[in-house]
Amino acid sequence: MASAQLAKWWATIRISWNKQLSYKLNFLLLVIGPSVVFFFVKYSLWTAIFRLEGIDKIQGYDLSNMLRYQIWSLIVALVAQGYNSMNLAEDIRMGRISAYLVYPFDFWSFQTAGFISFQGLQLVTASVTLLFMFGLGFLQHLHVPDLISGLAFSLVVSFFWYQVSYLIGLAAFWLEETWVLRVMFITISQFFSGAILPLEAYPKYLLNMLAWTPFPYLTYTPVKIFMGEYTGSLSQAWLTLLAWMVVVGLLNRLVWQRGLRLYTAAGM
Amino acid sequence: MLREIRHYAGVYLRFMSTCFAAASTYRLHFVLLIIMDQLFYLSMLGSVDFLYNNVPKIGDWGRDQFMFFVAFSLAIDHLHMSFISESFWEFSYDIRTGKLDFILLRPLNTLFSVFARQIRPATLVNFVTPWGVLIYFGLRLGLDGWAWVAVFPLVILGLLLLTSIEILLSMLMFWTVESMGINFLRIQLQTISRWPDFIYQGFAKRFFTLVMPVLLIGSAPVYFLLDHSRWAGLFAMGGALLMSWLLIAFFWRLGLKAYESASS
Repeated sequence: MASAQLAKWWATIRISWNKQLSYKLNFLLLVIGPSVVFFFVKYSLWTAIFRLEGIDKIQGYDLSNMLRYQIWSLIVALVAQGYNSMNLAEDIRMGRISAYLVYPFDFWSFQTAGFISFQGLQLVTASVTLLFMFGLGFLQHLHVPDLISGLAFSLVVSFFWYQVSYLIGLAAFWLEETWVLRVMFITISQFFSGAILPLEAYPKYLLNMLAWTPFPYLTYTPVKIFMGEYTGSLSQAWLTLLAWMVVVGLLNRLVWQRGLRLYTAAGM
Repeated sequence: MLREIRHYAGVYLRFMSTCFAAASTYRLHFVLLIIMDQLFYLSMLGSVDFLYNNVPKIGDWGRDQFMFFVAFSLAIDHLHMSFISESFWEFSYDIRTGKLDFILLRPLNTLFSVFARQIRPATLVNFVTPWGVLIYFGLRLGLDGWAWVAVFPLVILGLLLLTSIEILLSMLMFWTVESMGINFLRIQLQTISRWPDFIYQGFAKRFFTLVMPVLLIGSAPVYFLLDHSRWAGLFAMGGALLMSWLLIAFFWRLGLKAYESASS
């Protein structure tokens, strides 16, 4: 029984992997492009600030430290923040989820298997980027325990990101378009997670408020773990993120159940 | 000529009225779009504001100059999102599904029909933040009368250049089967253009000024507004516009030959 289930997961992951690689240029522009361009802008901005102003340090960061922060932020974005729920929302809106209601492989499992294959691709992309940065000399040394710890944390962030994307996709039961919610989530999380500026540059009162939200754990925390400079409590970071995952997981269940009551199976 | 302009204005008004009717049907979506735009504006302005809490100057610009530049870019973005942006997503869909066939048959200029068709009313009503911030920082900088007269035309010039580069880029959609990536590439170019050109260096700066001139969109007009002796960038924008439209005319014809007309 368990092996049959596993076979279904494996088959779905493989199909999804092939599907995502069928349009390679599209994958490059859609998934990798935004992170790389965002990195390019931040790299240029910080280089200009330090070089033009002749500043030695900003909030404890010198230029090389700041660039290291931005490089790790790119790696975290590639590992953890690439997934979007575009197909999921379309499946609901077009009435294509009817099949999953009778299949012996439910909708959540199908989407999660798709996410796992996407994650595999992202890990390959992130590894290549990391080696490239290392080869170019942007990263002098890689500390293996920090690398493992940072990767583990990033994978949990990635699953949290998937859960939120899934929740946003489920909003298609009520909304004609869900991309607006996705853009809102990305905008808020980029701003509050330390993806643009390290959180040390933010006002104190804002940081105190953010500590209760998942946002600082999406970029700032994994980046600092990778850099071996995380000064906060690691167990608190894990607990906060896991607590948010439970909350979003429960919300997903609730929204799915409520949404199904509204589902009209368009086109059937 | 006048009759033709009147004809196109009438068609455009009809486009607008159908978009407003559609927007009023999906009210929650309408409200969410307003919130999304506001979040975007606030995150851009907030990022620069936080940055200037830590540095006194970037290049020659203090906080007010930089915020004025960001507001100028957001004003272009506001018009772009209101009147143009949606059409690119539709264009990609029309090519993929063959819906472009019906647009080609209309007794209208096809480029007008494709790129002026979609208007986003929710973004249109969101004008207060970008334009308000632009005026606020313009006043703080003490812009002279000529600069105030030139602000709106220069925003339009920036919008025209941005749109022209994007239309040129979107010609690629005739050859790519799945065009979502091209639209994302467009958005990435917008991201690059929302920062002043002096933050970029070397090859990147040359490429995004001379080959894909997105750095002219905000930088050239703002340099001129802050210092009227720096007008050369505006001529470069004119040249880039002309070149873009020559290339659009060429690639549009080539693209139509490659178009496979999926519905027929």
